[in-house]
Amino acid sequence: MEYTREIYWNVGHGAITLIPMYLLSLTAIGVLVYAFLQRSKIYKQGQTLNRTDQLPLRITTMIKNVLLQSKVLNVRGPGAAHALFFWGFFILFLGTCLIFLQADFTDLFFGIKFLKGSFYLFFSLILDIAGLIAIIMLIGLLIRRYIVRPAGLENKKDDFIMHGLLLLILISGFLIEGARIAVTEIGTPLAAWSPVGLWVAKALYGMGEPAVRVLHSNLWWLHLFMVVIFIAIIPFTKLRHIFTTSANYLLTDLGPKGRVPTLDMEDEEAESFGAAQITDMSWKDIFDADACTSCKRCQDRCPAWATDKPLSPMKLVQQLGDVASQNPTANLAETITKDVLWACTTCRACQEICPADIEHVNKIIDMRRNLVLMEGEFPGEEVTTAMENTEVNGNPFGLAFASRGDWAAGLPVVTLEENRDVDVLYFVGCYASFDKRNQTIAKAFIQLCDAAGVKVGILGKEEKCCGEPMRKMGNEYLYQMQASDNIEQFKNYGVTQIVTTCPHCFNTLNKDYRDLGLDLNVTHYTEFLANLLQQGQLKIQSQPFDCTYHDSCYLGRYNDIYQAPRTLLQAAGATLTEMAKSGAESFCCSAGGGRILADENIGTRISEKRAQMAADTGAPTLISNCPFCLTMFEDGIKGAELDGQLQSKDLAEILVERLA
Amino acid sequence: MKLLVCIKQVPDMESKFKVNAAGNWYEETDLAWRMNEYDEYAVEQAVQLKQQVGEADLTVLCIGSDRVKETMKKALAMGCDRGAHIADDASHLKDPYTIASLIAAYAKDKDFDLIFTGMQSQDRGSGQVGVLVAEMLGIPSLTTLVEFSYADGTINAKRELEGGIKAKVSCTTPALVTCQLGLNTPRYPTLPNIMKAKKKELISTPVDDLNPQPSLLEVLQVAPPEKKGGGLILEGDPADLADQLIQILKEKTTALA
Repeated sequence: MEYTREIYWNVGHGAITLIPMYLLSLTAIGVLVYAFLQRSKIYKQGQTLNRTDQLPLRITTMIKNVLLQSKVLNVRGPGAAHALFFWGFFILFLGTCLIFLQADFTDLFFGIKFLKGSFYLFFSLILDIAGLIAIIMLIGLLIRRYIVRPAGLENKKDDFIMHGLLLLILISGFLIEGARIAVTEIGTPLAAWSPVGLWVAKALYGMGEPAVRVLHSNLWWLHLFMVVIFIAIIPFTKLRHIFTTSANYLLTDLGPKGRVPTLDMEDEEAESFGAAQITDMSWKDIFDADACTSCKRCQDRCPAWATDKPLSPMKLVQQLGDVASQNPTANLAETITKDVLWACTTCRACQEICPADIEHVNKIIDMRRNLVLMEGEFPGEEVTTAMENTEVNGNPFGLAFASRGDWAAGLPVVTLEENRDVDVLYFVGCYASFDKRNQTIAKAFIQLCDAAGVKVGILGKEEKCCGEPMRKMGNEYLYQMQASDNIEQFKNYGVTQIVTTCPHCFNTLNKDYRDLGLDLNVTHYTEFLANLLQQGQLKIQSQPFDCTYHDSCYLGRYNDIYQAPRTLLQAAGATLTEMAKSGAESFCCSAGGGRILADENIGTRISEKRAQMAADTGAPTLISNCPFCLTMFEDGIKGAELDGQLQSKDLAEILVERLA
Repeated sequence: MKLLVCIKQVPDMESKFKVNAAGNWYEETDLAWRMNEYDEYAVEQAVQLKQQVGEADLTVLCIGSDRVKETMKKALAMGCDRGAHIADDASHLKDPYTIASLIAAYAKDKDFDLIFTGMQSQDRGSGQVGVLVAEMLGIPSLTTLVEFSYADGTINAKRELEGGIKAKVSCTTPALVTCQLGLNTPRYPTLPNIMKAKKKELISTPVDDLNPQPSLLEVLQVAPPEKKGGGLILEGDPADLADQLIQILKEKTTALA
């Protein structure tokens, strides 16, 4: 006997079944398409943006992220449950498609049946297992959502409908299968290939065939009806993420990572800068809100949210979606509130973890730009002063620009004005130039280069702030003024290689300046020194010490440099105890996004929280690689009363003490 | 309503100052330039008044080399309508009387209802230019204002006196006011206004066209402050420190007498 089964068993394959079934299905698909087309009008309110270039890359990215659930799986537990559920449900969907294909196409028109023989056996078994896994995962997720109730996870009507409907569809599917097996397969070798169905069949067997048949046909129609509802409500509920999140992978920002669009300051036509209303944002910014699944992973990682500030990246994105669909003329800064906008440190933890590829940070910068460029507003007077200081002296401290290179007196370093014949230009940055604590890092870097035989030049008083804090605060104009002056100097001196000790300078020169016409090698000192070490030019003596290491946002998440600093630490003899939040999950020091210029007046201090995390490792030294981080940790350690227990050091300080 | 605000470009006070070769002013190399702080309050108040009355034309005036035009652009970006630049590469050698005579010569036939200046400049600090201009034009002047209001041709203001005391004063226009710290918070220019400022009228007049009056004062010498005795740092535990301090106060001062 050939293994197979009769499709449309018990419900019949005649017009009386097929016509209502197809009418219902087509109606559901019609509703789905129509509702998405309607919804696309909301997206079209946004500005144009090309997100369909490099299509082959985009498509492979989407397929990988959807089918492999790569981003979803970045969080274990619920991520794995979602992925397993997805795979289970996806296999059931494929199975249903195969049945449709055979019953109403290949068999109907060509008399070809492929669901037979050993293929059918595996088909039966795999679908059974897929269904079982989907049910178990769904129950697990239900328990998490409604019984465990993780902090911050919001339960809305959508969630109840989604979970309930999916569960009912899966359970009814098994009941239908069980009823069919109870009548047609029990006692045959076929039944064993549907283990879950067989288990249900045994339970139903005692009802007797007529009752089972009635149950079967009723459930069959109910199952169909629920599937039809499921399809039709996709655009109206969070189920839409099946399409919108998948599409968001296709429409993702292909980088470079953390790039902020450069505004055209010479645009005479522009009447407004930054985003005041939702229509000032791109269509993708609106679409992002529909791709959000409220998984709250961003909120869980947001340093502002974790310290009782009003910013939740998730809520911000959703608010933008609400504005776009309900009140498109609303003023964004008023709706979202300025405190929320100013709270962001642009640490990128939200974006890095987002399983839907939502771009949170640039939305915030876009809204800040409007506040700054159109209203002249900042989070506080201290920030306005820092901006004015930068305009006058090229540094936010307001210290004399002419003394910018004073720290280098007596060190083996020249200004390019004196001698442009150097191996690298060290772009010092404001903190290492003017801040006493950070000058030690500049000096250490020069000594390390000298020991490795690298000739270093600086711009001295011809260097200006790279403009990063200003830019992230929304002051694109001041940023571009600083940037163009710096770029002019680089070009004047024919610079080909720049090294920075500040990850913010590094990211800005390396990525942001490219839009303004700079294209040369920019390296952060950790990679630069790791390279010298590897080539044997730099020799470090290993002297054992215990420490923990803080991945700065702009070296880690923005540039994926995690290994170079650890290689250097290892060479220095470090026994490294990692904090719970390290690598891509590192917790910001609080100073990014221009917050270095601002007072932290709301909630608790981010730097103290991070200092506490470092202290919790038991290591006596917290190593970082960023002048902002070092400054914040010096404060955070005092604030958290960890003096004597924990000290903050830059990696360069550790290395210079161990020069061979 | 016709308004005039007089500003000066001064070196940023954090700059590295050096005495010039002639020994009568500071060297101009390595200095960062900005608007005199008190003049920023003057510009802000003038712009606020312009916004309050609606129909007003606000001129910003500055004396100096072409370099000062950058600072004038900031005033234009803050909301002034037009710029009057009195071109003079040697303005730093002119005393307050000569400077005031230039402003008065410019303003005398222009019927300004109100003239705003800073209380003093951060570099020379004479505090005389505003009052001299008012005197030359024969109009009243209100100085060191920390509060200002205007309605129907009358100014009501508060002046800062010594020891935290304030005086309420009032006069009718035309008048001149000089502005003190605390009067307002100068605005940060918006980008559209910065762009517009680049296209606003900015006319330079050679200084000699305004018939500068001879200076009454001459700077004889400029020198950094003499180094006096260094500070004394006391160390030890608080009880000892208190004893030491009392001892010093007794021996060297009359504070405890």
